[in-house]
Amino acid sequence: MRLPRRPASHGWSQEHLSHYVDGDLSWLGRKRLELHAAQCPECSLGIRAVRGLVRLIHSVGRDSAETAPAGIFDRVRADAAKAHGASEPAHEA
Amino acid sequence: MTDDPPAGARDRLTESELIRRARNGDVGAFESLASAHTDHLYAVVLRLVGDRTEAEDVVQEALLRAWRGIGQFHSRSMFFTWLYRIGVNEANRALEKRLRQGRSVEVEDDSIVLVAPTAEQPAHTAEQHELGEALDRAIAALRPRYRTALVLRDIEGLSTREAAEIVGVGEAAFKSRLHQARMKVRARLGDQALVAAG
Repeated sequence: MRLPRRPASHGWSQEHLSHYVDGDLSWLGRKRLELHAAQCPECSLGIRAVRGLVRLIHSVGRDSAETAPAGIFDRVRADAAKAHGASEPAHEA
Repeated sequence: MTDDPPAGARDRLTESELIRRARNGDVGAFESLASAHTDHLYAVVLRLVGDRTEAEDVVQEALLRAWRGIGQFHSRSMFFTWLYRIGVNEANRALEKRLRQGRSVEVEDDSIVLVAPTAEQPAHTAEQHELGEALDRAIAALRPRYRTALVLRDIEGLSTREAAEIVGVGEAAFKSRLHQARMKVRARLGDQALVAAG
């Protein structure tokens, strides 16, 4: 009995470069990609490029700290004050 | 009626206690709870909408929705993923509105300011800066669903599980979306530049 044919390793490797770089592949998946990349310059370059890209994006994330503007809770406060006002008993004149 | 502790005492309360108080209408407790995440949320939304005024508007609206909806928050998800989900949905709503008006959803180049290299810094730092700018443009050109995946996972550094929960898809679908996003950015920057940067 013949085993079902596996999909071509090149297409599969190209689709899993990110998963490989993130360490999201199973042991078997890792080996499959590494064995293919050892013989495929395109996939080997792909691994290095995705690795470089992830490092570059991480460095941008570290360099661009943002602070929320001071009045960021203004609408929440106004809404809470409105709700509080509505629940206050009406005073007679 | 809610008991209202001083701000210092509120800082020492646990998240679950702050949630309980916020559900009972304590706006100070809600602010304590949410303020731990507003800088990051603002950064994410700014990356998504690309305009500081619009980002502030989106975050204010997201906080208002969270405040009004705190009663529906279920503690089985973390507060910050719930809040981010509201923020990301609001940002996408703003982008859709912009599209309907025929405006671009691309991020403006000057919306995120990177640190400029000084004269004393070596040449490779200037190259890195240039590459950083090219990266910003490439991320800005992504469609919102891809941009969101990249911003949450790679820029904000959230785990796949957290980012997938915020976006509202399964982890496998999120990983696939992230891969597509990276491939699009990779195509714009070129492999040689990325290998050199790595």
